[in-house]
Amino acid sequence: MNASYLAGVACGCLLAAAVCAPAAYAGTTVIDDSGSLPYNAPLTLHWLPPLRGAGQATVIGTTSVRVHLNVTPWLHRSGRIYLMLPAQQPGALTASWSTQGRLLAGRLTSGSRTLVYSGPISTAFIEDVLQLTLNIDARQLQQLYPINFQFQMEQ
Amino acid sequence: MSSPRRVPQERRGRTDLRLQLASACAAALLAFAVSGGAAAFTVTIPAGVLTGTLYLQIGVGNGGTFQGGNLATNATQNTETATVPASALGNGTAQAMTTNSSVTTSAYNGRTFCTVPGQLYIGAYYQVPVVALGWSSTASVRATVPAALSDASGDTISFSRISWTSSGIGDSGAEVFPAGTFAAGTTQAVGTLSQNQWGESCWAFSYANTTVPRAGTYSGIVLYTLSDP
Repeated sequence: MNASYLAGVACGCLLAAAVCAPAAYAGTTVIDDSGSLPYNAPLTLHWLPPLRGAGQATVIGTTSVRVHLNVTPWLHRSGRIYLMLPAQQPGALTASWSTQGRLLAGRLTSGSRTLVYSGPISTAFIEDVLQLTLNIDARQLQQLYPINFQFQMEQ
Repeated sequence: MSSPRRVPQERRGRTDLRLQLASACAAALLAFAVSGGAAAFTVTIPAGVLTGTLYLQIGVGNGGTFQGGNLATNATQNTETATVPASALGNGTAQAMTTNSSVTTSAYNGRTFCTVPGQLYIGAYYQVPVVALGWSSTASVRATVPAALSDASGDTISFSRISWTSSGIGDSGAEVFPAGTFAAGTTQAVGTLSQNQWGESCWAFSYANTTVPRAGTYSGIVLYTLSDP
């Protein structure tokens, strides 16, 4: 009975591992960045200057985010970290950011991702400060929108 | 004595093994929850924090520019004037009007744009945040035109005798505020701006001179308004 129980647990584990494996090891994993601050940062909005002769309803949103990536699962290995901006409401967005050097500066549009780190993972956490800028179509500013980003690890 | 001790040790070993497996499994599930989970930072696009701006300048402004960040209100009312010689009255030759405005530069960036006294500067921009919240995607400049210019004796000349051409130094293509003719006694659109657009033109007015009015000084005031839509 004990053996049977253990076999069942082991089987459950194997099953869990089998289920987990495609998500965890297919190559891309979402990194836990729940230590980033502020975690739900409000953007400061201001207009792009009007263009002479043609309209451009573009608003610039800026904020600073202290990124805290928990890369413990990949410690002492190498990997590539991407910042992804999933396609979401209110529509097409362009994000760009500068960093303090631990991560790479870059730019991306909704539904795409950009490499921000490539190399060995030698510490349990990777931290940097992102000066984030979003280009937003002013015509989309009908309500409050949370914009989700993801850091993805690829090995 | 030794046997009873050994059995519990084996049981304890089995129990530990179960816990280890269960623990390992839980760890695997936890790792899965983290690796495939929703951990991702969020920024928020706030609503209702942007203000809108409408700016209109006909003729003289405060001397500032948009790019200089120092545009301000100026209440000056400029004039357009034509003096028709008696010998030319009503001969159908349009008479150019001149302005008392001294503005030759763009209120957008300060570059030389109009010539005076033959041209009157008009510049405007329209910047509003949310069309869905009652703002329009366009704004119009409208002229409220009296029916006629009049003199002290009550004689009149229809405002429809006055037209204007539109241009600007360095401009190509259609002007934002195109050429036109006053529609007497109405409010007429003289140009349309899209959202966050700066528009500017230089207007050159003329009097049609197709009638022979009584001699006198005729005047009237046209009011220009930028509004949404």
